[in-house]
Amino acid sequence: MKISYNWLKNYIDLDPIDHSPDVLVDTLPLLGFDIETYEKLGPPNMPNVVVGQVTSYQAHPDADRLRCCEVSTGEESALRQIVCGAKNFNSGDKVMVALPGAVLPGDFKIKKSKLRGQPSEGMLCSAKELHLGQDHDGIMIVDKNAPLGTSINALFTQGDTVFDLEITPNRVDVLSHIGVARELSARFGLPVKYPKLSAGKENEGKSLLADVQVLADDLCPHYTALSIQGVKVGPSPAWLKDAIEATGQRSINNVVDVTNYVLHETGQPLHAFDAAKIKGGKLVVRTAHAGESITTLDNLERELSTSNLVIADCERALVVAGLMGSVDAEVDEKTTDVVLESAYFTPKSIRATSRSLHLSTDSSYRFERGADPKGITYASLRAADLILDVAGGSIVGNRLEVGSEPSTLTVITLYPKQVRDFIGFEVSDAVIQSVLESLNLQVAQYADAENCPRWEVSIPSYRADLLRPVDLIEEFIRMYGTGKIPDSEVVARGIERTDDRLYSVNVSVADYLTGQNFNEAFLYSLRDPEEVRYFFGDSSHACLALDNPLQSDQSHLRPSLIPGLIDVLQLNAARGTTGTRFFERGHVYREVQGQLVELVSVGFVMAQESRQREWLTRESEDFYTSRTICENILEIAGQSAKKISFHPINSCDLWQGGHAAYAGDFGRMGYEITCGMINATTLKKRWDLTAPVLAGSILMTPQFFKRTTKRNRHKAISNQPASSKDLSLIVDTSTLAQQVHGDVSKFAQKSSQGFDCESVRIFDLYQAEGLPEGKKSLAFNLSFRAPDRTLKDKEVNAAFDSIQQLICEKTNYTIRK
Amino acid sequence: MEIELNTIIDGVQDKMPHLSTRAELEAYKATILGPNGAMTAVMKSMGQVPKDEKPAAGKLINKAKSSVVTAFNEVMQRIEAGEMATRLGPSIDPSLPSPDLDRGTLHPISQVREEMVQLFSKIGFSVAEATEIETEHYCFDALNIPADHPARDMQDSYYLPDQLTVANVEKHADEKYLLRTHTSTVQIRTMLESKPPIRIIAPGRCFRRDTPDATHSANFHQIEGLYVDEHVSLLDLKATLDYFVKTIFGPKAKTRLRPSFFPFTEPSFEMDFYSPDLGKLSNKWLEIMGCGMVDPEVFKSVDIDPDRFTGYAFGMGVERIAMILQGVDDIRYYYQNDVRFLEQFA
Repeated sequence: MKISYNWLKNYIDLDPIDHSPDVLVDTLPLLGFDIETYEKLGPPNMPNVVVGQVTSYQAHPDADRLRCCEVSTGEESALRQIVCGAKNFNSGDKVMVALPGAVLPGDFKIKKSKLRGQPSEGMLCSAKELHLGQDHDGIMIVDKNAPLGTSINALFTQGDTVFDLEITPNRVDVLSHIGVARELSARFGLPVKYPKLSAGKENEGKSLLADVQVLADDLCPHYTALSIQGVKVGPSPAWLKDAIEATGQRSINNVVDVTNYVLHETGQPLHAFDAAKIKGGKLVVRTAHAGESITTLDNLERELSTSNLVIADCERALVVAGLMGSVDAEVDEKTTDVVLESAYFTPKSIRATSRSLHLSTDSSYRFERGADPKGITYASLRAADLILDVAGGSIVGNRLEVGSEPSTLTVITLYPKQVRDFIGFEVSDAVIQSVLESLNLQVAQYADAENCPRWEVSIPSYRADLLRPVDLIEEFIRMYGTGKIPDSEVVARGIERTDDRLYSVNVSVADYLTGQNFNEAFLYSLRDPEEVRYFFGDSSHACLALDNPLQSDQSHLRPSLIPGLIDVLQLNAARGTTGTRFFERGHVYREVQGQLVELVSVGFVMAQESRQREWLTRESEDFYTSRTICENILEIAGQSAKKISFHPINSCDLWQGGHAAYAGDFGRMGYEITCGMINATTLKKRWDLTAPVLAGSILMTPQFFKRTTKRNRHKAISNQPASSKDLSLIVDTSTLAQQVHGDVSKFAQKSSQGFDCESVRIFDLYQAEGLPEGKKSLAFNLSFRAPDRTLKDKEVNAAFDSIQQLICEKTNYTIRK
Repeated sequence: MEIELNTIIDGVQDKMPHLSTRAELEAYKATILGPNGAMTAVMKSMGQVPKDEKPAAGKLINKAKSSVVTAFNEVMQRIEAGEMATRLGPSIDPSLPSPDLDRGTLHPISQVREEMVQLFSKIGFSVAEATEIETEHYCFDALNIPADHPARDMQDSYYLPDQLTVANVEKHADEKYLLRTHTSTVQIRTMLESKPPIRIIAPGRCFRRDTPDATHSANFHQIEGLYVDEHVSLLDLKATLDYFVKTIFGPKAKTRLRPSFFPFTEPSFEMDFYSPDLGKLSNKWLEIMGCGMVDPEVFKSVDIDPDRFTGYAFGMGVERIAMILQGVDDIRYYYQNDVRFLEQFA
């Protein structure tokens, strides 16, 4: 909202120094009114820009469009030649001259120069070049009486400052110059000067309207119409035009400008009708008829719905109530009789209409936040005064009025002690009271049973935002000044609560992965719909869609971190950086039986072979590298990796069949891992990456982190020597090592009586010639130990025999001799 | 005998430098100390030595034997040292570049987020997490932002389709799901789960339907703080935020609370800070967070007695603070993940 400093001065005596525009720039934000921008109109300080006179001119010998002017600036040395492109001046005109050495706005330095061979000692300026207006059609001609050589700043002292304030939605009362003046009055201790009214509600003659009828009093509880006869519509006087333009609007005509002026003065929107265009001599406030339409002043034909409130005559809707008039009833040059509307429309109704018509105006902006119910009469009489003043005419008849002012809360009970407790520092009752009263919040003092002071604070009608004691405390601290809140130490009593485990796990996971040379990446949670469908299918595509995406390539929630991480590999490869390992921690979304589930995820990718050549080559990563990382992450998350069973992935669009695996099930177990190689064909096709990429993705449910974990207890370890045996088994190629390992372990436990089989370890895999087709050989090392003695060979051999016997009996594995 | 022994010792001394492997040593050793060795032969001749000369002869032999053994041990040590040197290979050049990858980096946003969390941890805040999908109730209504309130216009949100069910995000009634627009939702979830005293910090990802530019991104991160107890005052809020600003931006930083409006706090403020040490951003007031005292309406929506408890809350953008601290002028750099960018903050 634009507020003009000069305009403000009509309502409050701002001191040019103590309350200068620069002081307001600092003051207003600390009162809660942020300044988005502010603009100083009028010229900035510009030495060497002075009044000069064009004594004569002639056409430039080599350029038709230029004139060579002889210019006097009153100095002894008299005339200087200045070349100028404008044609809007005559000999003898006084103009603004920028002499060599002057600096115009925009850091435009004026120097002696030559234009098409003709010397030019300065520049004749347009109003725009001097920040004196928008005019750039020619140079600026100044008053004939201005003394030659007068500095621009001596000639134009009347600069205004216009603040563009950001008013929070609760403060409709500040959406006007008087509103801002009230706030400054409270801060500076100056009175508000409300303009005096001459007009009255009751007048000689007959109203221009036969009747006003309100058919929707729930949407319009109070409607007034004042008649003014015999106005002369024409251009606004300069003061009115300046004011209207300062608020960023275009001047229309004197009557319309007055209604806009009063809106920006008091905050109350008004509407002026041309009485001659009201058919049937009657205004009807009603909801629109089905199928009714109106052509608003912005020349758009708008379809109305039956919930939209309109002001109509006997035939048609003339105004969308509280928003905008129609082209049919507007005040124009031919208007002589005016009906002036001032009304209260309920905020909900205006807001709904504004939304449904996609139309927001200065008027609707105020009505939808709630105009001052008691401001209606003042605004209408004030506008009448101004219309009579600038357009002549006279008020005729009594003001027509339907309904009455809606009531507002008037009193809030407040205890001064309550204020002190809330703010946490000492302030006397008297100070609190004087701050509240500066805001026109009148304090009546009482005492309750324990002789504790109790205040009944009365609230002005324009402060509908003040409803509760805490709102008054807010007003107190705002006006008292937040800068006066004392500095103090943080006082923190212990509270029994630890960080949510998800957070601490995430911190440890990042520590681990950065230690494994991964760079953390941050990616967007919204992904391309085609990608989601490609990797996760139609049902995921349907389930993960946003209702109202902004960009078509960011319309779906991500089901996985991996595609985004591959994007990162691609970007870094394209840019030739050294980045080959990335991870992300974030939330992902999955479809499960038509429902959406939000999951916590950790994902990582490593590009193989894309490393730069090194003087010493390391062995490259493989499937097992990615699996180990996944297992370690799960361990960090509190899940023992020993219990995890990995299953091979045979065919998948994202993962490479035969070189990737999965484990877990987030639905049943709370976690799920996928790891291994990314599908090489997909990688080439979608990302144009040829180097193999290994990746891992861990999904965990938020509930997974809420499990209580048991603290581990000590178990004695044996310090006796261990005995070991090796065993080699020939099994089907398709049999998973984990299966064989499980069997061997089971048999080993069973066969070790009185001692333990401490570990069963696979130490060799052989899968080549010498073995039957479709078979592989797995070699195990078994380690036995007793808690209390050295094992005898006989015991160990017996156990080993028993194991081999069990293998022969219970499995189809062959023992390799 | 003495002559024989000296001859053996001289022989051994002469041979020593020429022995370069274990095998050569063992073979030569056998010619001296083996069953048919020279020294063994001399020892065997002891039997023919007259009885009274035996002690002297014994001494001579022992002395000679020990000098031979010492010589062989020296050779052995030399051979072992040589073998070790072969095994170890040539000495390294410690200045060659490492063939291993560099340590990875924590993302600059993570770094700042963690620094902030640690700072608040020290004064008793613990981390609370919640889902990114929320419902209108927890994102707006419970925070005193009613459906038709103009403040809801201030947040343009991403919604999920009406017919969808999110299995692990609980609804209040039949309201719509959306992606949370602020971490203030965690305030509500936490206050519903536990009763005062509550002191939490909630870092998390948020979403707004903004067109991306240098300061807006489809998703961004916030940190929300909430403290609810008996007698929590505005003074406490200021003390906490001053501590935060001075710790993260340095002791020269100044703060101010600029009155503002949020439906979920009353009074509400924007906190600005001012620092002489911020490069281009030095010596001007920079807005860094919204804060205020929890509005009694919010307490009512989570069944906390507003007459007994008061509290403060604050929320700030992690990217914004990171951009100020790290001198980054376009938020989109954070989401490109070019390692040359990421490694600058390692």
